[in-house]
Formats: sequence, C-alpha cells, structure tokens
Amino acid sequence: MNKKIEKQGSVSQNIAHEKQSGKILDITSRFGVYGILIVLIIAGIFINSNFFSLNNFKNVIQAGAFLGILCAGMAFITYSGHFADMSAPITMALSGIVTISCISFGIVPALLIGIGAGVLVGVINGIVIGKFKANPIIWTLAMNFVVSGIIRWVYSNKQIYPDVESGGSIAGEMFTNISRTYLWGIPISVFIMIGLLLIGQFVLSKTRYGKQLKIIGSNIDTAKLTGINVSRNILIAYIIASFAAALAGIFVTSFGKVGAYYNGEGYDFRAVTAIVIGGMTLSGGRGNMIGVLGGVLTIGILSNLMTFIGIGTFEQQIVTGAIFILIVWINSNSLRKLGRDDA
Amino acid sequence: MRKVKEKGSKGISYFVDKYRIFILFAILLIISIAFAPNFFNAFNLTSIMKGASLYIFLAIGMTIVMICGQLDLSVQSVMNLGAVLVIGLRTWSGFGWIWSILIAIAAGAAMGLINGLIVTKGKIHSFITTLGTMTITSGLVFLYTHGGSISTEGDFALGDLMDQTLIPLFTLRVIITVVAVLVFSLILNRTRFGRAFYMVGGNKDTAWLAGINTNRKITTAFIISGSMAALGGALFAISQNSAVPNMGTKGISPLMVAIAATIIGGTSMAGGKGGVFKSFVAVLTIMIIFNALTCFGTGYEVQVFANGLVLAAVVLYEALAIYRADKIKGIRTELLKEVQNK
Repeated sequence: MNKKIEKQGSVSQNIAHEKQSGKILDITSRFGVYGILIVLIIAGIFINSNFFSLNNFKNVIQAGAFLGILCAGMAFITYSGHFADMSAPITMALSGIVTISCISFGIVPALLIGIGAGVLVGVINGIVIGKFKANPIIWTLAMNFVVSGIIRWVYSNKQIYPDVESGGSIAGEMFTNISRTYLWGIPISVFIMIGLLLIGQFVLSKTRYGKQLKIIGSNIDTAKLTGINVSRNILIAYIIASFAAALAGIFVTSFGKVGAYYNGEGYDFRAVTAIVIGGMTLSGGRGNMIGVLGGVLTIGILSNLMTFIGIGTFEQQIVTGAIFILIVWINSNSLRKLGRDDA
Repeated sequence: MRKVKEKGSKGISYFVDKYRIFILFAILLIISIAFAPNFFNAFNLTSIMKGASLYIFLAIGMTIVMICGQLDLSVQSVMNLGAVLVIGLRTWSGFGWIWSILIAIAAGAAMGLINGLIVTKGKIHSFITTLGTMTITSGLVFLYTHGGSISTEGDFALGDLMDQTLIPLFTLRVIITVVAVLVFSLILNRTRFGRAFYMVGGNKDTAWLAGINTNRKITTAFIISGSMAALGGALFAISQNSAVPNMGTKGISPLMVAIAATIIGGTSMAGGKGGVFKSFVAVLTIMIIFNALTCFGTGYEVQVFANGLVLAAVVLYEALAIYRADKIKGIRTELLKEVQNK
C-alpha cells in the first residue's frame, strides 16, 4: 500500500519535473529566437561600443521594416501549412510599378490601383491553391514567372520613374516621400510593420478565422471534416499575404524611386528565413507574430553585428546560412522533445 | 453496353497522362519546325542541346531528390561551386583536368552529404535545409573567387573539345549529358537500388518496414543531386573556358528551370513518382520553347512568360485531375448504374 503511494508520488514528481523542463522547452520553442537575439545584443555590446545605441537600433529596425511588412502577411500562409508565397517578389514589383504608371491619376487612386494589382495575384493564388489544391510552392513559382513575363512585356524591360511619370507634379514627389516620412524620428514603415504584426497576432490568436487557420495548418483533412470552409480560408490567407506584399512593394519602390520588375528580388527567401527563425514551422499551425518580429530583428541585428566586426559580405552569407539552420534545429528539437512534432 | 466505351476513354486519358511530356514535346517540336524561321537546322538544334546540357544535370538531381519527397534548392549554388572549383583548381592550383573535375564533383557530393545529414539526422525540412546551404554555398563560392571571374588563361584545348560536334547534333558535352541521363534512368528503373528511391518517396514507413534504410536513401539522393549539379557546372565552365561566381542569378535562373522541368516532366513534389528521362525531355521542351520564341524574334521577357505559362498549365492540370478524382472518390459507379438500369 505504502509502496503504491510512494510510487504514485514519484510518478507525480516525475510529471512535475517533466512539466518544468517542458515549460522551458515550450518557451524555447515559442520565443527561442529572442534568446538568440539577446545573446547577439550582449555579444554586440562587448564587440563595439557604437553597437548598443539608440541610433544603431533605429537603423536596424528601419532596414528590417520592409521585410517585416512582407512577413506579417506571408506568415498567414506559413501558418496555414502552405509553406511560402514564392510570388511575393513579383507581387511587390507589380504593385510598385503599377502605382507609378497610374501616378498621374493622383496619389491615392494610384496607390489603390497598385495594391489592387498585387491583391489580384493573391486572389489567383488563393483560388488555385485553396480550391484546386495545387502545390503551393510550385504554383506560386509559376505565377512569379508569368507575372514577371507580363511586367517585362508590358513595360518592355524598362524601369519607370515616379517623377517622370507624374510629369513633375506633386503626386510623384508624394510617392517618393512615402518611405521618407518620419514620425518622432522613426520612419512610418516601422509603425506600419508593428501595426500589421500586432493586427496579425490578434487575428491569429483571438479571432474565429485565426483558430480555423490553425486547424487547417495542423491537419487540413480534419479541418474539412469539422466543417470549416477550407478553400475560402486559404483564399483569405493568400489575399492577406498579397496585400502585405503589395504594401511592402510600394515602400521598396518608393524608397528606390524606381519601378522595375526586379524590385522584390530576394525577398521571398529572406521572408521565409525570418518567419521560420521566428518559430513558425513549415508544417503549419504553430508560431506567432511576436516570434516573426523576433526573426526579422535577428536577421537585422546579425548582419549589423557582422558589419561592425568587419566580416565581409561573402562570409556574412555563410554565417547567416549556418545560424539559420541552427536556430531552426533548436526550435524543432525542443518541439520534438515536447512530443509535439513527430517529424 | 456503355461500359466498354467508358473503359476506352479512360485508357486514352491514362495514356495521355502517362506520356504527356512526350506528347507536349512532339507538339511543340512540330509547331516550331513548321512555323519558327531558322529553327530546323543542324546548327540551331545543336545549340538547343548545348543550352539544355547544364539544366539537364540539375534536373537529374532534382528529379531523384523529388522522387524521395524532398526538395533541393541548393543545386544552383552547388553548380556554381563546381564551375569555379574546376577552373580555379586548374588555373590557380595547377591541377590536371581530371583531378580538377573529380575534386569539383567531390565538393558537390560533400554539399549533398551535408544536406542529407541535416535533413535526416537533424530532421529539418529539406526546403529550409537547402535554403540555408544555398546561402552558405554561394558565400563559399564568392569567397573562393573573391567575387570576380576566373578564366583558363589560354588553356582552351579541353574547352574546344567539349564543344566539338562528334556526332551530328551531339557535342562531347551533350554526349556526356545524355549518357548521365541514360545511366540514372536505368538505375532508377531497373535496379533495386533505384527502385528503393520510389519506395521512400511513396511511403517512408512502408519503405522502412520493407527493410530500406530510408535515411541513407534520402542522403544518397542529395549526394547524387550535389555531385550532378557540380559536374554540370564544371562541364559548362570548361566549355566556356571561364567561370563566374554568380552564374544564373541574373536572368532565367537554372534552379527555377530545373524545378519547372522536373514538375513538367511529371515528377510529383509529394514523391514516389517521376523519372529522369521524362525530366530530360522536359528540359528539351523548355529549351525548344525558348529557342523557337527567339527565332520569332521575341524578347527574353516572352520566354520567361512562356516558361511560367507552361509550368502553371501543368500544375493546374495536375491539380484539377486530383480535384476531380477527389470529387468522385468513394462513389461506386457500378452501384449507381445498377440503380439506373432498374
């Protein structure tokens, strides 16, 4: 009898112990990226005295803002278990170039048309992937080719400039000023990034849509059986992603003062990196926007730090790639130890 | 009575589905020969084969990796690694051609091994793993070349030999490419070693229960992919007599062509389906599209558009087929017919 109780006691103790270590692992899997971020910042303080300054952090967050805006939308796709939107670069380029060519209608209509053009790409993606279940990576890749071909065809491989297209009117100047507008010394893109991430976090965690998306991401067949309108929810996720990509594209175009088909190049893989580092697994249904913000900041701080140390661009690539794999491994390993990931 | 007719129509659609890449290839070839000016002559066809050679090497590896149900994004940077290594070792380190090529292939195989180990032992999704190693490898390539290009500095003998037309339409490099395709095609279709890749991709657990070391199989697929990409890059660099660290980052990216060709050729990203020879024909199909469009005098942008359109059409076709099959899944037509007959 006594023995039995003792045994029970030890079992419950074991469970308590497991719970404790589980809690740590849980935090690692959720916010592990912030641990890395703190390590990087502490390392930075020792490495260079100029690193830990308000000015420097402002630079980092400013440089990451465009990527953050893009990630705030693309995270919905990753969350729903559809990997990534490989057509994001061309969505960005499309919204920018369309806005510039419509700039003579005035700044607000031009922006609306530009964002609308970007969202159109998302609608097509969402219908084909949500309704007909095309492979998300391959389909969005094909879309990237098609839209890129159309843009080059229509604009005959040329770049267009906002000041030329607007004929020197105020609208062109206003467009280039979009990414040069400051609020309390911080560019407006940073506020938009944080705003979008907060809204995204609210939608994912508090609304009915977010909960349904989580079930879709966890198991799409189960979601269908519970009566969730899967194809509509995926369509909405792609629309959100393309809207964010279009917004990011307008900022990038406005920043570069030039509209061209190559404006978004490289953003697809960088966005995936940031999202996955931030703890959203590619298998879907896991992660949060706070983590994604951490991912964006980590990428920024890492490259900033390496520039301070004086590591060359090529070596930076190697370190970034290695750290990327390492962080993902830490994330997935702690998930596996918790028994939450069988992969 | 109607049964027979239905069976026949099913047979045709099955046939079309199975051999669709060959049908697509034949149709496009006939259209190009009939309408594209200056298309059907030995010089142009040879140049198509030469242009396809690089992509075919990437597609071989991509096909085997995709048959295993994985994805390899690092092939393009490994291709560049092979290209700069073979020229760099020859020009800077004074190795012979044989050793340069062997070391380049070994380097590609090593990158593949790293990919495979991270995917199987680290249990990280291949999309992420190869995205990371893509960045790492391209950093290594730039580091090796200091960002510039390398040339063979007047040592053109092997490069000329590579581009010499030995048999009509076939230069030495193309012959090596075709031999590689045939060898891997035979291995995948005829040997136990090759069939096991399909089992791993089809159902990993079943394959494991059947006594296949699935982890080793996936690692092998990545090693093949890495070494083939490096070999393709090396041969291309030799025939160009120079290598640049960022080949393919501007313009049509070889990675995207390789993925597109593999998918168009009928290899499914879910794994367990496809073949190297079909991917080979798919690369040729894409090259014919590019070349014919150039013959019509259209610009490069139309090629990008056409490539995307073909890929989109194939993906949509496949998705629609599955969508339709899903809709009638579980419906037993013969029972319905019994009800109708009564």
